[in-house]
Amino acid sequence: MRLSYRWLGRHVDLSGISAEEAARELTLSTAEVESLERFAPQLERVVVGRVVERAKHPDADKLSVCRVDLGRGEPLSIVCGAPNVAAGQKVAVATQGTELPGGLVIKRSKIRGVESQGMICSERELLLSEEHSGIWVLPEDAPAGEPVASALGLEDWVIEVDNKSITHRPDLWGHRGFAAELAAIFRRDLGVLRAEIPSPGRGEPIPVRIESEACPRYMALAIEGVRAQKSPEWLRMLLLAAGQRPIDLLVDLSNFVMLDLGQPNHLFDRARISPEGIVVRQARPGESLRTLDGELRRLEPADLLIGSGDGPVALAGVMGGEASRVEPGTRSLVLEVATFHPATVRRTSARLGLRTESSARFEKSLDPTLPARAAAHFLALLRELQGEARLAAPASDAGTWKDPSHTLRLRGSRVRSLLGVDLADGEIASILERLRFGVERREGELAVRVPSERATKDITIEQDLVEEVGRIWRYSNVPERAMVAALAPPPRDERRALVRAMEDRLSGAARFHQCVSYSFVEDGLLAKLGELDAPHVQVVNPVAEGFSRIRRSVVPSLLALLEPNRRLRAEVRLYEIGKGYLPRGPGEEPLEVHELALALAAPAGDAAARFDAGAFPRLQGVIEELVRTLELEPVRWRAPAPGELPSWAHPGHSVVGSFGDASEIGAVLARLEPGLERALGLAGELRSDVALARISIDALLAAPHRPLLHRPLPRFPLVKVDVALALPEATPAAEALAAVERAGKGLVDSAELFDLYRGESLGPGRKSLAWHVVLRSDERTLGEEDVQRFLGRLEREAASLGGELRRE
Amino acid sequence: MIANGLRVIIRGVVELDSDFIREVRTESQDVSVGFDPTLPAPKPERGSLHPLTRVTRELEDLFTSMGYLVLDGPEVETDWHNFEALNIPADHPARDTQDTFRCDPQGRLVLRTHTSPVQVRAMQRLAPPFRAIVPGKVFRQEAVDASHEHTFHQMEGLAVGEGLSVGHLIGAMKTLLRGIFGREIEIRLRPGYFPFVEPGFELDARCPFCEAGCSVCKRSTWIELLPCGMVHPNVLRAGGIDPERWTGFAFGLGLSRLVMLRYRIDDIRLLLGGDLRFLEPFP
Repeated sequence: MRLSYRWLGRHVDLSGISAEEAARELTLSTAEVESLERFAPQLERVVVGRVVERAKHPDADKLSVCRVDLGRGEPLSIVCGAPNVAAGQKVAVATQGTELPGGLVIKRSKIRGVESQGMICSERELLLSEEHSGIWVLPEDAPAGEPVASALGLEDWVIEVDNKSITHRPDLWGHRGFAAELAAIFRRDLGVLRAEIPSPGRGEPIPVRIESEACPRYMALAIEGVRAQKSPEWLRMLLLAAGQRPIDLLVDLSNFVMLDLGQPNHLFDRARISPEGIVVRQARPGESLRTLDGELRRLEPADLLIGSGDGPVALAGVMGGEASRVEPGTRSLVLEVATFHPATVRRTSARLGLRTESSARFEKSLDPTLPARAAAHFLALLRELQGEARLAAPASDAGTWKDPSHTLRLRGSRVRSLLGVDLADGEIASILERLRFGVERREGELAVRVPSERATKDITIEQDLVEEVGRIWRYSNVPERAMVAALAPPPRDERRALVRAMEDRLSGAARFHQCVSYSFVEDGLLAKLGELDAPHVQVVNPVAEGFSRIRRSVVPSLLALLEPNRRLRAEVRLYEIGKGYLPRGPGEEPLEVHELALALAAPAGDAAARFDAGAFPRLQGVIEELVRTLELEPVRWRAPAPGELPSWAHPGHSVVGSFGDASEIGAVLARLEPGLERALGLAGELRSDVALARISIDALLAAPHRPLLHRPLPRFPLVKVDVALALPEATPAAEALAAVERAGKGLVDSAELFDLYRGESLGPGRKSLAWHVVLRSDERTLGEEDVQRFLGRLEREAASLGGELRRE
Repeated sequence: MIANGLRVIIRGVVELDSDFIREVRTESQDVSVGFDPTLPAPKPERGSLHPLTRVTRELEDLFTSMGYLVLDGPEVETDWHNFEALNIPADHPARDTQDTFRCDPQGRLVLRTHTSPVQVRAMQRLAPPFRAIVPGKVFRQEAVDASHEHTFHQMEGLAVGEGLSVGHLIGAMKTLLRGIFGREIEIRLRPGYFPFVEPGFELDARCPFCEAGCSVCKRSTWIELLPCGMVHPNVLRAGGIDPERWTGFAFGLGLSRLVMLRYRIDDIRLLLGGDLRFLEPFP
């Protein structure tokens, strides 16, 4: 909302208070001022000139050569093309070197052979209006030589207030409301508003019938003897400062009253209103109205409208109809000043996408006592500027409105305890009185009368009054205080501790990069995954087509990052700890899935690489190490059963894992499904070996602990033996390891697989698993015979698996 | 710079005790020949922690050290928690400024537009007095550019107790700023309207980056940092807490914005974009 500093001065004496000071104080006590700007600075650059003489240009029919007196020195010679320029006029002159809006700098020039020493400006050239058919003629008493702004008393500042900071204050949607705030802040008097409706003619009042509860009050005033007329300079300039384009006196006054008092109003050409008067009612099915902006609006029964005769003439509180608008030929008016139900106006304006100055105000819950004052204000201003205008009949005033003023109890103790300040009851009362609350002091408390303009919604409870006191007394006067509470550590937050420990491991030793992704997952990606039909939480108003679905799991978010990052880096290691959502019944809160997702993508491996160099075993190693450092029992991996795998998992190269004796799958580890590689753009130069995993945070939280304990250091030397077992291809490594441990009879301290070999020397369908085995005893020194006994047992174990112990 | 410094130090040593140096040289000639202290050292490869995580952790540590709990709440939220319980009924004009993503045509479920719904969830779960912060993801249906995102992060703070006042709120906010910026920062409270607090404030901090106005504070020397206020009695009631006995304060910190300020990130889209070139530098 734009405020004119000069306009505010019509309601409160601002002498000695600069615009800057007013803006700053409003920010600290009332509402956020976003900017403060000089109004029409171009008017300070042009000066008043008196046209001494107008002569015809010797060489051009449409041009004239004027001698213009600027109050000092020789009059200037200025060539002017405007038809309305005449000797004796006061005009706005841009002299040499003056910059006009749009960047034009006035230079001495010759126009068709005649020298011109400046420019006489039109209103359009000064951005005052679209008027360009002639020059701007100034009042006769304007002193020549002075800047136009000061000569006409137009110097002003525009104070721009953030609308969001006044959504709760219907009283601040006009200049008077802000003037009242300044009066309270600076302890000055708010000017009195003349509010009597002048004595009417003896005609019949306009019949008004209200058929909807959405209209608590409707006033209609018949005004005759009006005519089209340009508004005076003061009015036009104030409207311009407030950001409203001046049009014509009648329309300008209607806008002026709205911007002055915050009460929207509407003018109908009375000739277009049925003699049967006005009906305020809900729209009928199929009704439509062409609004002032020329659009044909289809109405719905939820819309409130102003009807006359058979059809609508205005959309209540939003916009008037084109057919009944005020025209240059209008001689008789109906002035509508009403109160409409906020939500009704709001819904209609939202549905039609038609936000207007009027709807913005009505949806804030306007004071129903305001229409009478606004109507009187309009009439008083109109009669001042157009003496022959008069009220044709007594005003119609329909509706079941009630004065919303009410009385609230305010405890001084409540003010003091909520603000944390020591403020006497007397001081509290005086601040409230400055804000025009009525205050009656009672035993230990105040009875506070809330004036109607603050009573519709804004001030309804005791705390609202505490805010009133606090903001005028100033929050900067509140002393800082330390909270006092019993000393007790908050309960341990297992989930957060777990997440942090995981982040530290993964971002640290595991060298993974953490990302935080959008919760939306793109339809295109889901289509590639074949999951477009899976139930997703979906927004009905996405930011872009195809971005309506919320992820069910975090993994797809990482899948989307593989290709762009593989373009940048040979190896991509990413993880995210986040949430996915699984929808339940309609309107029911979805199930939240908290998970860790990991992705490892490296250039597609060469065949000669070590058995554990691929993305899958590396990621498995990262997960197992993570689980170990979290001091949890190891993951129990197993082959997936049909239907257990997510769509991104390679069906032939995946494992699922669980924790402790839980039966649910808590982890999935897989190579990327082969068809997806190409679909995700990981082909050609970007061909990758990709492993993915997801681990449920809830499963980790429920997993049994394996606390880290110190193990005594060996007392006797350790014995290291390397063994290789040739086995059938189908024998899992786990069985081979079990065989090694059995053969050790408790002496195997550790066994680490260091080679996996397949080759002709083994014969078809066979593989060799080679282990570094460490034997340990805490009772004696192990000797060669222990090693031989171990190898002998291992030979028999290998044979029982259908294989053999390989001898070099 | 560093190399220059080294040279000065080395020259000093030579002048002070040149005999000793000569001795060392003869003994270990092979390692000192060709020694170049400016030769670049290998960079150990490491992972990275997202800047949002880094800043969130700092704030969590600060607040938990003062007895605050760290709470979490759903991103897909009920309209009741996101609006109604926060004193924003249907048709309230404040709903306009929220640009809500609705998850069903009736709007019973929404993507939470702020972390404030966790205020009510906390009150329903915890018995006063308590203090809590809620870092998390929030959503607004708006056009995206370098300074606007439809998904960003906030941190809600809430304290409920007996006799909590605006003075306590000011104290908590000054402590927060000392924690963030490592020094005393001047603040000011001015009226701000948020339906779930009364009185409500905008908290401005004296711009920590300049003294006479800069681009961060738009030449005003004040940065609008966070909305805050005393918890509205209707919200306490929605959380099952008696507003006659208990009062509370709440604040909402723009985590994404704070992260951007801290690391001078000029494009908010980088935060959730997952570009390794952006992520890698944050250890």
